[in-house]
Amino acid sequence: MALELKQVSIRKGSDPVIDRVSLRIENGEVATVMGPSGCGKSTLLSAITGSLDPVFTLSGDILLAGNSILETDMSQRNVGILFQDDLLFPHMDIAGNLAFALPPSITGYDREKRVAKALETAGLKGFGKRDPATLSGGQKARVSLLRSLMADPEALLLDEPFSKLDQALKAQIRSFVFQQVKAMNIPALLVTHDPLDCPENSQVLALELKGDPDA
Amino acid sequence: MTNNLKSGKLSIFPLFIWISFGITILAGAAGVILPSLDFFPAAGQTRLSFDPWITLFKSPGLVQSILVTLFTGLAATFCSLCLTLLFVSLFYRSPVWQWFEKLLAPILSIPHAAFAIGFSFLIAPSGWIMRLLSPHVTAFEVPPDWVLVNDPFGITLTLAMIMKEFPFLIMVTLSAASRLRIEPTLHVGQSMGYQKEQVWFKVLVPRLYPHLRLSVYAIIAYSLSVVDMALILGPSSPPTFAVYILKWFNDPSISYKLVAAAGSTLLFAMVAGTIFMVHMIEKLAGYAARRWIVNGTRRSPLSRIKFPLSGAIITLIACTGLSTLILVVWSFTLKWRFPEALPTAWSAKFWYRGLADMQDPLVMTLLTGACATLISMVMVIGCLEHDALQKQIRRMDSVFYTFIYIPLLIPQISFMAGVQLLLVIFNLDGMWISLVWSHILYILPYLFITLKATYLDFDPRVYNQAALLGKSRYRAFFGVKLPMLLRPILFSAAIGFSVSVAQYIPTMLVGSGRFFTITTEVVSLAAGSDRRAVAVYALIQQCLPMVIYGLAILLPKAIYYNKKGMH
Repeated sequence: MALELKQVSIRKGSDPVIDRVSLRIENGEVATVMGPSGCGKSTLLSAITGSLDPVFTLSGDILLAGNSILETDMSQRNVGILFQDDLLFPHMDIAGNLAFALPPSITGYDREKRVAKALETAGLKGFGKRDPATLSGGQKARVSLLRSLMADPEALLLDEPFSKLDQALKAQIRSFVFQQVKAMNIPALLVTHDPLDCPENSQVLALELKGDPDA
Repeated sequence: MTNNLKSGKLSIFPLFIWISFGITILAGAAGVILPSLDFFPAAGQTRLSFDPWITLFKSPGLVQSILVTLFTGLAATFCSLCLTLLFVSLFYRSPVWQWFEKLLAPILSIPHAAFAIGFSFLIAPSGWIMRLLSPHVTAFEVPPDWVLVNDPFGITLTLAMIMKEFPFLIMVTLSAASRLRIEPTLHVGQSMGYQKEQVWFKVLVPRLYPHLRLSVYAIIAYSLSVVDMALILGPSSPPTFAVYILKWFNDPSISYKLVAAAGSTLLFAMVAGTIFMVHMIEKLAGYAARRWIVNGTRRSPLSRIKFPLSGAIITLIACTGLSTLILVVWSFTLKWRFPEALPTAWSAKFWYRGLADMQDPLVMTLLTGACATLISMVMVIGCLEHDALQKQIRRMDSVFYTFIYIPLLIPQISFMAGVQLLLVIFNLDGMWISLVWSHILYILPYLFITLKATYLDFDPRVYNQAALLGKSRYRAFFGVKLPMLLRPILFSAAIGFSVSVAQYIPTMLVGSGRFFTITTEVVSLAAGSDRRAVAVYALIQQCLPMVIYGLAILLPKAIYYNKKGMH
């Protein structure tokens, strides 16, 4: 089930944004992509999720569990993503947000049970009926992670998920995320500009600034 | 503290609107309810009775008129809303969408009456489509004896209303879009395996609809009470209820004015009842959808209708474009025998004649529109500035923003009939200033709709910076804030002006028939006059808003031609 990048290059017109990146992430492993802002980290992530803007051209291949996913539609890729903004749906309660992510094969009462169980693992027992807006930053971060995981992704991308949290919270959420990825036994790719975010003994891919991709 | 003082002075603006709108609305209510109970001192009627109501209910064809009104109004609203939701969820940010977005302003600027005339020239049995298809496809040598315009079920009227209301809802959707975080939401939904259309209907539509709600209610009120389009395209015997009311109102006998008042009251009740019913349906639908939203189904059957839907939308836009084009063709026509695809002889005769005749109504239209827009704009900016300064302390409550929307939620003929009857009672009818005020009632809500978000999003730091640099608050406002907001303000003013140009009922009723504008001329000519003369007037009506929109776009470009940051 590994996530593999093979000689991935991304260009915007004739400007290279990402140059021949290769990486293999095993199940349960969290690899890190690091670099200053503007080095193309987010572009690389959107290439993996399938939301790459058409102004970019991609060469190389991206494999999930041995199959290329480049031609697969975004909604069929089974790649979950977690952003620094929680992006919880503000008009649904917490349970609704989580149930939204559950596959349709789980029906009826089982859906409620799964949601309740997930909330319990995150230490948020009884939060189902709460309005997302009333949660603290750390609680929101945990719910968003749970939500991405409930859709049963085969890989998880983490787009600077800790950068808006304060130091104490960061450590707590970070270990919660890594622990959940281990438990799910899926590959995860963390994008960050903060060296302290990297898990210990993990693969780190350092990207450099190549021109200005935003220009 | 300074903010407090300053916004305190500005509170005169919202206060003025509260009082003046409040009084007008109460006057409108009193002006229909009292006469409907036979109370009309101007004609010596002071004894209360139900006679006007009894006459109303005995009117021939009343039930059929009410049924066709409800059918056309509800069908137009429902179809416009469905089209909007389907279009946005299937095509948002696609090439078709971007193409439509560019055409939106010109489409919206077409006055209803001019559009209705163009549309009737297009689809009538002797209309352009039939001419293009005849005689090769249809084998018709003379126009067929079909009832395509003024059909008894109001199908044509319904279609025309959809073509006007659907772009309006798209505009409201666009202005709400910035607050919905559409792209990230689609991204998150799709990363969980949801098809894009399904993310729209499960997550985005429930959040979009609250932004559309008031506009949907306004469309209900509008389409149940529209007069100008119904006169041109709607059924004739019996006509839609609002047209029926206008006929009573224009009857020289006072007793029919009282029947018109009773009819206006009934129409108001119909609109209120319909809005209430739709509100209940919303609640039910919201409740019913709750489980569906979180049941996890990812696939949507909607992607299958993508192709037919794009066809339908392109047809709608093509019809709108052709309706304008046919007006141009007719206005330069001298002779046009039936099955020919184009006129057999061309001439600019009707333009010379039309332009010579229309000077007075044209001046009246421009003057009324300019005054009403200017006064409205001063009031709107006053209110918004008050709100912006107060923002840090307490936002102006949304009750105010709903309140100024009320004129759009009351059937226009009921409201204006009420105001007019009250003016007659006090012998104040037929003054130009009341005509301008009646236009302000309809311009103001649109100025708020179009300007509010941009105005309140203006970075207060820029303003404070200007004030801190030693300028007075006044100079910071007039020298920095207003010039920076010139573009949205002018654009919004152009919309206000085009709203004024399109007003038919306020001009007819509150003006006591003493003031002639291009619109009143267009509608009265449309009944049976020479197509060539009508086309000239309808085109002029259509050109006025376009010219103003053009100015609103070009003027800031000319003023700030060398300022990159202002584009």
